[in-house]
Amino acid sequence: MIISVVKTPRNSDGAQRSSYRQSYRSYVGAVSRLGLTSALTARRLNTSRRAPRAHNITDKVSPEHLAVLVKKEWQLSYVTPLFQFRHTQLKRYSQQLSAFIAAERQGVAVEVEEPQHSFKASFSVVHGMAEAEEDAETILIQVHSKHHFSRRDDPEKCVWSGWLACINGSPEYIRSLPKDFICLPLFGSSGGDPLTSSVKSWFQQTFDCCFGSLEINHTSLQWLGSLWTNCQPESNIQHLKMIWAVPVVPPLQITYTVNPQDAWELWTCVRKDAQVEKEGEEEEEEEEEGIIDIEEVNMFMQELKSHFYRHFKLDLSAGNLVQVSTALGSAKTSGRIKISNSRYMISTLTLLTECALLKMPV
Amino acid sequence: MAAKLSLSGPSDSDTSSPSDQSVSGRSVNRSLRIAEKERRKNEAEDPFVLALKYFSDVEPGTPVNGNDQLERNLVCVEKVAYSKGLHPEAISIMLEFAMSLRMGSSPCVRVLKCLIPSSVVPQEAVVRAVVWLGIGKIPISTQVLFIKWVLTVFDMIDAKDQLRAIYGFIFSFVTEENLCPFICHLLYLLTRKESGNFACIVFQGRQPFLMHLLSLYKVFCPELVTLSIPSPMKNAFRNHNSPWKSALLAVQKRNGSQVSSSSLSLTAKDKTNSRKRKHCHLEVPALNSAVNKQAQTDSCSSRKVVPLVQIHSFAQLLENMHRIELPAQMGSLLGSSLTLQFLDCVQDESALLRLNSWLGYALHEEFLFCNDAGSFQNSEEALQFLEKLLSTLHFRQEGFSSIEVFLYKFLNAWDGSLLRPQILGLMSNIPVVTSSQIGQFLFEPLMQLFFTSSLFFKCGLMECLNNMLLKWLTWHSVVFLSFCSVLYPRNITLSGFKDSVMELVHFVGRLATVGLQLEGCHSLLLSFILDFYETVCDMFLKYGLPLVVMPPPGVFYPALFAADPVSVDRLAYIMYRYKVNLTSAKRQEKLKEQAFHISRQTFHEFNHYVVVMVNCLWNSKMFHQGMGVQLGEEVLLKSNVPQYSNSFDLIHHPAFLSYAVDFHQKVRAQVHSKPWRWYLEYLFTQGYDGLKQFVQSNISWQPIAGDGGSDDLATQQR
Repeated sequence: MIISVVKTPRNSDGAQRSSYRQSYRSYVGAVSRLGLTSALTARRLNTSRRAPRAHNITDKVSPEHLAVLVKKEWQLSYVTPLFQFRHTQLKRYSQQLSAFIAAERQGVAVEVEEPQHSFKASFSVVHGMAEAEEDAETILIQVHSKHHFSRRDDPEKCVWSGWLACINGSPEYIRSLPKDFICLPLFGSSGGDPLTSSVKSWFQQTFDCCFGSLEINHTSLQWLGSLWTNCQPESNIQHLKMIWAVPVVPPLQITYTVNPQDAWELWTCVRKDAQVEKEGEEEEEEEEEGIIDIEEVNMFMQELKSHFYRHFKLDLSAGNLVQVSTALGSAKTSGRIKISNSRYMISTLTLLTECALLKMPV
Repeated sequence: MAAKLSLSGPSDSDTSSPSDQSVSGRSVNRSLRIAEKERRKNEAEDPFVLALKYFSDVEPGTPVNGNDQLERNLVCVEKVAYSKGLHPEAISIMLEFAMSLRMGSSPCVRVLKCLIPSSVVPQEAVVRAVVWLGIGKIPISTQVLFIKWVLTVFDMIDAKDQLRAIYGFIFSFVTEENLCPFICHLLYLLTRKESGNFACIVFQGRQPFLMHLLSLYKVFCPELVTLSIPSPMKNAFRNHNSPWKSALLAVQKRNGSQVSSSSLSLTAKDKTNSRKRKHCHLEVPALNSAVNKQAQTDSCSSRKVVPLVQIHSFAQLLENMHRIELPAQMGSLLGSSLTLQFLDCVQDESALLRLNSWLGYALHEEFLFCNDAGSFQNSEEALQFLEKLLSTLHFRQEGFSSIEVFLYKFLNAWDGSLLRPQILGLMSNIPVVTSSQIGQFLFEPLMQLFFTSSLFFKCGLMECLNNMLLKWLTWHSVVFLSFCSVLYPRNITLSGFKDSVMELVHFVGRLATVGLQLEGCHSLLLSFILDFYETVCDMFLKYGLPLVVMPPPGVFYPALFAADPVSVDRLAYIMYRYKVNLTSAKRQEKLKEQAFHISRQTFHEFNHYVVVMVNCLWNSKMFHQGMGVQLGEEVLLKSNVPQYSNSFDLIHHPAFLSYAVDFHQKVRAQVHSKPWRWYLEYLFTQGYDGLKQFVQSNISWQPIAGDGGSDDLATQQR
């Protein structure tokens, strides 16, 4: 991939031609990123990824932050790169967002500096989440509500929370952005819809970005199911539950729950087969141990489906996987995700970051 | 109107001096006053003058009830007011009388209602009256009536500087519940940049009039006001001119007054589109100045910047071009033609990326990520959005990379009929694509669409590709003129550009060949294809591109044997232009040593086509050896066509047969010699200029030619 920005020096030419030049320059500026075009149109989800390893994330990320991130169900969105977002300005953003929410809520104009808003927004950096060098640090946003009648020492109630993250984001994409932009493509929110839309519109107006809904498609759900199953020996997944929507009239939903040990055994068989096959092809290096391939995932799912078919004479291939859940977390096709165990959070977020980056319009 | 004028005044420097408008208003006022004085001298005994004298001198506390003198004078004033209107001095006297409550509040309403100005309203009178508003005990309803009157005559007030000076005083009336809407309207009209800090005063309530005033403050002081405004801000200020409207219009009409009646219309601009939107992502964001500017101010705090929101005219745009601040959301630049002018000058890569992000997002969400199946049915907004985009592209003469990326994805999902004209329009704006990518991104999806779609799609696509080629060639000719080959988009070199153009022309050739077969050589499709080749044949001379590509036989022969004379004529014209281009290219090649080289193959193809055309149309040697179309002798005999080799000459060609018959009938009696020549002359008078040029350039045409054409008509060959 070649990303090149051609900058013709200013005022280097006669007046008459400079207008062409300027025009060209803006043009070149606009299209220089099109070196990405081929990558953009041909972009697919990675076909292989590293198996989740139990992260010692508790060492890196503060327990308060982890407590917020874990055990909540998040509604996901993708976000285009943020313009002039500064990790150093979070205090000011907190003030502005508080004022914005108050304005939206009460329909009044409010002074930004005013301390007494009924909603208090706070921004914070979740240190230790970023994996790759290019990843921007995760941002956590919380909105607390204050009641007029509550006593001063009453704990403020958190009514909304959300985060922006980029975990193992494509370095090529991130490097291709001008330095004014911060790439935090994954947005999770939990709380009332009016607040969510307030926060989104504040971000849109402040950082000139756009929010779009992020679904977790069939393939990603299969990936998650497999990745979680892979963790069984280290951390009991308790069950592998899948919900399939079958397009019949009336619509049929099939919940398919697999015993964790059975799922693990099936998975190891699939893995072994695949490894043997690979070794047959070429001498594999030892490092490849932790890599899971899309074919293994497909095979695993295929085996689960055929098992179901043997019992119920129903081919699940006709339907769509709409939800996957284990004790480690759950994911729905509508873009809702819940991460129950922080140890495997990173690999899940990596997959989701990838999904979000696939949605980027430029 | 007034609000706009006062806002658009120079907002940075001259805060104290009144605007131009008020200055001119004053001088007009002065001359008018002199005229009024003259008139008054002559009419010293006028009852109206006496009446005014009464109202200016009447003692406070004079009873109202049973006061005949008051009644008589008031009637007199009313009569003048409703017929001619009151001159400025009379306005001052009557307003002072009413607002000072010298005779209580009962005549007050009546006086206010007859305050119809004949020319202008003196500012001093209004200021005094506002002061009375603060200290008098005027009933609320009368206060409201007074403010309504001020709003009605606002444009007729001769200056606004003193009114602006008491902005804060007027502002204090906002707290009065009943007065608030009207005060807000007045403040809206008076607000200038320096008034923005009033926004710090916290408001309660969501009434439209407040919001409207606040939105104005937000324009001036974005960092002070955080405000969410419901997008359709409609009719925030109502018209309050009802008590005076008809009388004022009548007086103005009678006086032929130059004060425009626009003062009577609503000043607050209505935002369009109150319709509820389903797809909010297609809504162009509102133009707001950036709030998040900490980072910028560090570097350029010394430079004073002007937010784009405060620019209201092209003149202002030009004046402030060097210090305009980009808006908070770049997408908002697509919102108005003025901001588009500005967009044309934006060079900043980040800004363009922001714009492209938004644009790409909107297009992707609407056409590619649409979750609900019903979204395509609701394509009215999509249509409007694309139309707007097209006019933007047209205006800018440049594409947006995000549209291109979107199109490459969308072409694979498109059915070829949804919003066809718009999508094809967007496509024709795609800048030069490298020859290595063009196949995958454009040709593959287009080919599939082309062969599975209707005739109209095929025609549309041909037109689109023609426009695309035209735009590429125009780019090239600009680069050619500026002698700087580094400037091709995407760093394409001249030879790379030539390769891309060649790919495109060959691709269209393939499409056209198969398309004409599929559609039975439909003349509409043929016409669009010939349009394309009219561009292609002139690439060297018109656009300076050293490249000549001949049409494939699949296009040449259907055009040559077309049943309509127009297609044949256009083919003749195209061949004529090819010849002109080729000869000129050859001359240049000889002139300059390292000039480009046109392959022998091209010359060969051209010569072959010319020979075929001349033999077919002129020499009646249609099926001779070495021609493009060869049929076995026995097959031709079997067809039972007598003199088959004649069947496509200019007389027997299906396209011209009717002309031959017509000619024959017209001139049967007169012409005995050289009928062929006369026939040609006849054809040329029918407007077949292409044919004429072709014949003149390729056939040494002698006037003594015998009928039917013969060997003395030699073809010119190279």
